[in-house]
Amino acid sequence: MSYLRLRRLWKPSPLKRRYEVVIIGGGIHGLATAYYLARHHGIRDVAVLESQYIGFGGSGRNTAIVRANQRTVENVRLYEEGLKLWRVLTDELDYNLMFFNCGVLGLGHSEASVSAFRMLCNTHNFLGVKSELLDPQQCAEMIPGLDISDRLAFPVQAGLYHPPGGVVRHDAVVWGLAKGASAHGVHIHQGCEVQGIDTEGGRVTGVRTTLGPIGCKRLGIMAGGYGGAVAAMLGMELPIHPLTIQAMVTHPLKPFLHHVFSSGAYHVYANQTLKGEIATGAHMDPQVNYTNDATAYYLKHQAEALTELIPALRGVRFMRIWAGLADMTPDMAPIMEGNLGYDGLFLDAGWGYFGFKSGPVAGKYMAEYMATDERPAMLRAFQLKRFLENRYSGETAAAMKYGHWD
Amino acid sequence: MTFRLTCPVCGKRDVYEFTFGGQERGPRPGQEGLSAEDHFRWTQYRLIPYAPGEEWWYHAQGCGLWFKTTRDPATNREVEE
Amino acid sequence: MTAHRPGAVAAAADGSRPASPHRLPCGSTCRVDLSRPLSFDFLGRPMTGFAGDTVASALYANGVRIFSRSLKYHRPRGLYSIEGESATTYMAIDGVPNECAETTELRAGMSVRAQNVRGDPKTDRFGFIGAFERLMPAGFYYRLGHRPYSLWPLFQNGLRRMAGTGVLDPRREYRPGVRAERYLNVDVAVVGGGTAGMEAALAAAERGLRVCVFERRPWMGGHHAWRVREFEGKPLWQRASELEARVRATENVRVLTRSPVTGVWGENLVTGFTVGGDDDPFRECHWECRARTVVVAAGCMDRPLVFNHNDRPGVMQPGAAWRLARTYGVSPGKVAVVSVGDDLGLEAAVDLTRLGVEVRAVVDSRRRGHDPALLEELYDLRIPFRSRWSASRAKGGKHVTGCDVWGMSGIGPNSYTCDLVVANAGAQPRIGVLATVKAKLGYCRHTHSYQPVELPDDVFVAGSMTGLRDPGSITESGRLAGLRAAAFCRRQGTALDARRIGRAEPAGEAGPSSPGDNCPPALSAAIEKATSTLASRPGPVAGTGIFRGQGIGRGAKAFVDLDEDGTYKNVVESAAQGFDAPELAKRFGGFGLGPGQYRVTGQNLAMIMAAMGLDSGKATVPAPTTVRPPLVPPSLATLAGPPHDVHKRTPLHDEQTARGAIFRRMGPWERARYFSEDPSCRDEILGVRRNVGLLDSSPLGKFRIFGPDALNALQRVYISDMRKARPGRCMYSAMCNDMGQLMDDGVVVKESENGYYFTTSSARAGTTVEWFRYHTRYDGWDYHLVNITDVLGSLNLAGPNARRVLERVTRDDVSNDAFPYMGVRRITVGDGVEVRCLRLGFVGELSFELHVPSSYCQYVWGLLVDAGADFGMQPIGLEAQNCLRAEKGHIIIGAESEQRVILTDIGMGWMWDRRDTASKKVGAPALRACAEQPGRMKLVGFRVDEGSGSHRGDLEAAPGAQPGGGPGDGAVIVADGEVVGYVCTTRRSETLGWRYGMALVREEHAARGAGLNIYENLGSGRKSTCSATVVAPHFYDPRGERLRA
Repeated sequence: MSYLRLRRLWKPSPLKRRYEVVIIGGGIHGLATAYYLARHHGIRDVAVLESQYIGFGGSGRNTAIVRANQRTVENVRLYEEGLKLWRVLTDELDYNLMFFNCGVLGLGHSEASVSAFRMLCNTHNFLGVKSELLDPQQCAEMIPGLDISDRLAFPVQAGLYHPPGGVVRHDAVVWGLAKGASAHGVHIHQGCEVQGIDTEGGRVTGVRTTLGPIGCKRLGIMAGGYGGAVAAMLGMELPIHPLTIQAMVTHPLKPFLHHVFSSGAYHVYANQTLKGEIATGAHMDPQVNYTNDATAYYLKHQAEALTELIPALRGVRFMRIWAGLADMTPDMAPIMEGNLGYDGLFLDAGWGYFGFKSGPVAGKYMAEYMATDERPAMLRAFQLKRFLENRYSGETAAAMKYGHWD
Repeated sequence: MTFRLTCPVCGKRDVYEFTFGGQERGPRPGQEGLSAEDHFRWTQYRLIPYAPGEEWWYHAQGCGLWFKTTRDPATNREVEE
Repeated sequence: MTAHRPGAVAAAADGSRPASPHRLPCGSTCRVDLSRPLSFDFLGRPMTGFAGDTVASALYANGVRIFSRSLKYHRPRGLYSIEGESATTYMAIDGVPNECAETTELRAGMSVRAQNVRGDPKTDRFGFIGAFERLMPAGFYYRLGHRPYSLWPLFQNGLRRMAGTGVLDPRREYRPGVRAERYLNVDVAVVGGGTAGMEAALAAAERGLRVCVFERRPWMGGHHAWRVREFEGKPLWQRASELEARVRATENVRVLTRSPVTGVWGENLVTGFTVGGDDDPFRECHWECRARTVVVAAGCMDRPLVFNHNDRPGVMQPGAAWRLARTYGVSPGKVAVVSVGDDLGLEAAVDLTRLGVEVRAVVDSRRRGHDPALLEELYDLRIPFRSRWSASRAKGGKHVTGCDVWGMSGIGPNSYTCDLVVANAGAQPRIGVLATVKAKLGYCRHTHSYQPVELPDDVFVAGSMTGLRDPGSITESGRLAGLRAAAFCRRQGTALDARRIGRAEPAGEAGPSSPGDNCPPALSAAIEKATSTLASRPGPVAGTGIFRGQGIGRGAKAFVDLDEDGTYKNVVESAAQGFDAPELAKRFGGFGLGPGQYRVTGQNLAMIMAAMGLDSGKATVPAPTTVRPPLVPPSLATLAGPPHDVHKRTPLHDEQTARGAIFRRMGPWERARYFSEDPSCRDEILGVRRNVGLLDSSPLGKFRIFGPDALNALQRVYISDMRKARPGRCMYSAMCNDMGQLMDDGVVVKESENGYYFTTSSARAGTTVEWFRYHTRYDGWDYHLVNITDVLGSLNLAGPNARRVLERVTRDDVSNDAFPYMGVRRITVGDGVEVRCLRLGFVGELSFELHVPSSYCQYVWGLLVDAGADFGMQPIGLEAQNCLRAEKGHIIIGAESEQRVILTDIGMGWMWDRRDTASKKVGAPALRACAEQPGRMKLVGFRVDEGSGSHRGDLEAAPGAQPGGGPGDGAVIVADGEVVGYVCTTRRSETLGWRYGMALVREEHAARGAGLNIYENLGSGRKSTCSATVVAPHFYDPRGERLRA
């Protein structure tokens, strides 16, 4: 029975001194790009360089929520395609990514957020992405124990339910993509930290790493929260701030929370994992940093917020807290660029805290871009120049204060 | 990490008392002849390497002072000068 | 508290009969008060424990052996650890799921139930699952259940049902009672109140430092607290007890018992919680302690031995068996086999024998390094002993019936019949705190444990976690750590600290401190002395690198992680699939992801993987892996603490309550949103349009700015030419950010040569000072900016009859000639209350905004209400104001503006002083760049075409729906299959007789007269469409005649 024969998911491969394509970052974005380069475009001479181990960064640190209920047309279309890929990839990779299609419920706690929800709902439905506006009673029926009374500082006024959303096993996506990429000939090098980028005559020629120099024709910077730091090796300034975002899980419980829910006013989002833990994420500290340090502040903040929304959660304990990086742009939409400043330099960055849900679809289009040198139509909205033209994507409504950290 | 910042007036305080004001990037450029691109770069683009850099912070829950301090994004700590 | 004094009871020590067949006479180390029985129930069966018992010890004393069923295989699980290291005794206590029976103190009337099982864990309908283990290799679920994909939801729901342990009732109220939180500042935080921790506390306290000791147990003394072995002529428990008394009597030491540390975060923020005892005013207390230094003396715990069926009820770690007997007076079993890897384990074997447990055999995986005195005692007790042997298999189904032991060299097995297997591989330090302070940990080949290779300057380690076992060494290492912490504080201290510390210098130690080094010679000498004393005493003892018994596998499960049912075989399987480093295997196989976290399984997993590396020819040492806080799981109730909701009420809150206001929270404020149940606010609106209304607008931001550079500052942040501000006139202007987006709007009044008064939107009141100072921070300007938002309330009197009402309360001339539109006056109302009065028109009618000192607001409100009574004046709320201003085409920031539009896009470009570059106005360059840029979104007014709509479903019941049908806020504008904009605000206007609105649309749809297709689809068949025509957004009184009336 082949099921019981255990094989390495990805093959150890010799480090060549030269590849056609080098991708910096062994997370979902980098691995997906490599996978699609090899599978769809026949470019198999690809190396994925990961400074730690694959999935070390945001790919393994997010709360695994996937959805397509974004604010603007361009983003809805991109994430909608992303949502459809989980199933396709599960099949293609023959690896169960465990897409739990439980739906995502956003809670609105003010008249302003109700208006915002209505706008989102109308946009989604017009574009054929399911969304539904719920009243507080309906929210309480979906989220057992949700307090919809006036005891809350900000009582629930409406919900926006998005049935196509859900949760995907984040580590499985990393490993599955590594498996798929490796099967198509991609080399995955863990523990290989890029320390510099070489260029010559306006072209990218290679990278310098802790394992020596590696030449390439095309270079993809897909380093998640570290993207800005990698670009900084070229002296390249970007409208990106890396911020720490935290998440935590409780002790495992028998399933009672059957949907993802989130609340902007309380800065929480939560879901119950297949293992039964309540996985919940928090707001971010505003200062730029590259650490993965969690704080006591958010452990407490999260407990305050969750127990106000669902008082029964007072009966649970937090078991683990961790942090990852979110590379924030001013408009909370990504930057996907090709031949940026140098021929052969590709950048996939600025995903903020949307990097997980977008991974495969971003990889698919970045691979097309890298293979053809032509910007796919889907990526037109995500050019860097929008920041210099003051044409924000509108993914968030709020005007920024001093910068994109606030 | 729950670090502290040194307010020139109040001393070392928990970081959550402060508002972050971004990297130091010099005084506001003159506007006569300032190109749109230069302005929008100055406003949004940053170089954030793994090295200490000067930043602005505001003691919001304290004395109300904007001050500069040096902090290392690699460690998320203030760096003694 | 009495129950926790050692030997307080000693009921059994004097030979009297134990209270139950499972109780032992354990004498002076006993913490259980047999004179205070407590009744509780387990699965509805009445049981009796005693004060001082934990739930686990009481259950065990009542003969309970199977506490739970395991997560994956539903194997029976018993008492394996004693302090919550593993989750085998996580139970539902009084309905609260996942409570650790090992650390929960027994209280009368408790109701205890097993988890992950129906009813009694002795029987379990899922017990068969373990038989299919072969089909469930590590990560099996990633390779199963997705083909065909249509079956996946079925498989997924099956997985989901099997997952989890505790059951939470979402409708129940959990953990009622008082929660507290404390925020401390200390010089030295000592983590762990064992002998080393106490010595450190004393050493530091004697030098005047403020010390706080955190101890998770209800008593102090660490492992000395239950040991009867003598050191320097006195039993260890007695030494510990005397030391505890000294520490507790020391003035500047704060002792927190029952207080586990959950983590040490950046710059020594020590967090944890205290479980309240009978005398405490709280059930639980969360604390955060900022410490200048931290002494880590967290001690050791057993490192599990991995062998076949090592999870069987009756297999127990030495610490558990020993403490059960010594601390709780409960017999762990009748006949035992002991397999250990350290001297404490041997001592446990000896002690258990003395307490009446028949120990059949003692094996020790170490080749050498045994304490000869212990071997001698074993010999005297005629207990067979073998070194380089270890347990290899526990026998029995639901409980241990025997044990095989096997020689490391392959000899064996020897089989024994027994009901208790006491096993560990050795000891491992509790490294959690060291990991969270970011100490660099390395694998020490001598102690076979993780030891700090590099410590932060302000963290010190002491006690048995460093590998020390000799009580004298432990004492000295504690003292040394305390002294070093004192020296650190001394070096880092301020002059004030130095005086404080200096003053308390013990007699004879005080001396002149040398310049440049704040460490006084006496302190240096004490450190030197302690260092040399420590060096002269026995150092860290050798540990063992053994982690498993012989013959592992062979059809039996050997657990590396009991919580997650992770077996040794699963580790091998993970490695085979490429997850050959501990961090990867941990994620893939789930090792250390259960309640015990990596703290328990971490070292064994790393040792196993290192050994595999050795097997494959790679030289590897066990690599420390990430330990994540919280180090002990706190409940969300404890973390949340007491209610924190703090919000502001306006001075007129009570007045409005009396008038039937319905309040909503807006930012920090509680504000009146409606004055009736009618969401359309018809009466409130018509009252203002036809008569007069009164609005409490107190949260409006109110500021004074003065000084020679006040105008410069205004010029910087406001987009208009602020030199035009003049006395007696309100100047309306706006603030932008650097992208030209609208941040705030309000009026500015020049009040004196260099003095201005201005207002901001309520939302910006809290950040305006910050904003001004940020944008002028390089300029060194001389101005003062004072936020007087809370000092002044604000009452807006609006409507055609507003003047007639106002005239009744003031003698000042408020006629249109004397006080025209946009004027500002200081007027006196009632009995001499001077107020600022601004003639503005946000709602589109004649209106007077009175800025009244907060303490006079109620008085002025009363005056106006009385004066308005004859007119039938009514108070109005925010929603009425919202409709009124929208009819007038006045925008609200965030409603009619967003990130994609700049000032010029929303019809407010007229404010901008285009010529000014010298002031470096915030936002001006962006406006300059983009004011004429094509293709931007624009704010437009629209009028819904009568009779154009089609509606389906119950749209009016949806949240945020507008009464009277038609599109609501957030409807989208569509064209050619695209979304080209959205409706910001729309209302049906009683005044106008038609439905109007404002929308942000792409420029090509923004021309006057253009048609808009409005689309709404809120799901569940609720759809509407209609058409509208773009019109000027000044729907009501477009020429402003009513404002100027």
